[in-house]
Amino acid sequence: MSKSLSQRRPLLLLAGLLSLLLILMSYQVRTGEGDTVLEKALLNAAGPLVRAGSGSLAALADFWHSYAYLRGTRQENIQLRARLAQMEELGRQGEEFRLENGRLREMLGLQKDLQLPSVAAQVLTLGSSGQARMALINRGSLHGVRHNMAVVNRQGVVGRVISVGRSVAKVQLLIDPSSGVAGIFQRTRGQGMVLGMGERGCRMDYVSDLESVEVGDVVVTSGLDEIFPKGITLGVVRSVEEGDQLTKNIVIQPEVDFHRLEEVLVLLTLHEPEPELELGR
Amino acid sequence: MNSLWRGGLALILASAGQFLLTRYLPGLGESVDLFTILVVYYAVTRRQMSVMLIGTSAGLIEDVFTHAILGVNAFKKTLVGYLMGTLGSVFMLNQPLPRLGILFAATLLEAFTEVGLYLILGQHAVLPSAGTLIRQGIGNGIWGALIFWLVAKMD
Repeated sequence: MSKSLSQRRPLLLLAGLLSLLLILMSYQVRTGEGDTVLEKALLNAAGPLVRAGSGSLAALADFWHSYAYLRGTRQENIQLRARLAQMEELGRQGEEFRLENGRLREMLGLQKDLQLPSVAAQVLTLGSSGQARMALINRGSLHGVRHNMAVVNRQGVVGRVISVGRSVAKVQLLIDPSSGVAGIFQRTRGQGMVLGMGERGCRMDYVSDLESVEVGDVVVTSGLDEIFPKGITLGVVRSVEEGDQLTKNIVIQPEVDFHRLEEVLVLLTLHEPEPELELGR
Repeated sequence: MNSLWRGGLALILASAGQFLLTRYLPGLGESVDLFTILVVYYAVTRRQMSVMLIGTSAGLIEDVFTHAILGVNAFKKTLVGYLMGTLGSVFMLNQPLPRLGILFAATLLEAFTEVGLYLILGQHAVLPSAGTLIRQGIGNGIWGALIFWLVAKMD
């Protein structure tokens, strides 16, 4: 009896763990809220570590590069080579600062163009596990970031905040398969829903067969999802096919390069749900 | 060092490694999942209970940074850990080729489990392309076999 129980222990543990995880997932799906208490706690605990780790790992990488670069040089040339390396490093840093400056200027321009309160953030990590496409940014509730805030850059929509820690926040990228943004064709004003497809970009659903759509048409946000302001670029139509349910199959190429995200802008505006009207009053 | 500390250290190393890969070598970072490699390593060298616990922990850590729904990675890594652990107890998996195979199989199983989970939860699911799956399977297989070999050398 006891032997049979001990043999079954792994199976019982498996069933227990999987059930708990299923409950956890169904709760999030049901409420539509990404940041559960557990996730918030984990994000808060891990946030400072990632921020610290990001700095120290970069320093470690710099150290390693310097070491690898200098290794094997002759003794009499060490000082000169080190000096040369320093100058080169300074030059590289200068170039890096110049590029960063350009990007930040773009951000500033975007901030002015949008005329919305916003905060600039740096992308700490870009994560892709399985189907999910996420980014971790170095701004959190301390900086005014809240759940469901829109994240954009100069190219267009980056994603939306789905979980907020004190000093970090998790952003669901536009190409994440769980992501959905209300879109509109700039040329025809036809509307639809832009859904993520991971590495394959996005697709636009609920576009009628009667709608005139051409490859190269620009899709922007319609503002109907009450997360993204109207008129921000989502992408360009890459292909259009006739669908089988009176709708078109449209593939969208996002404008944002999700492999090279460094700085983003979090729009600090939330569309508050309108108060429900009671009939008869 | 007891197994709890070892497991914790392995998780920290996998997290730091994955962070470095996605940050500095994004192309490679998309083809290699160090958490999957860790779970499969546990599956072929440890008991099933440890495998499942490391799978759940690794998955939760991954979920916090890379997933919209907390628990998806934890679920699939726990399941993969259990199944690979069962395979490991039946077959000899101490040669590079079978290990490469089991890592490849774990990668595929994770992808299909995730799609299944999304469907069960009523979410929009996209099956990764065959090319992506093969690239990730081979990436995990080669890097995993290399890491297994390195760890065996250090022990």
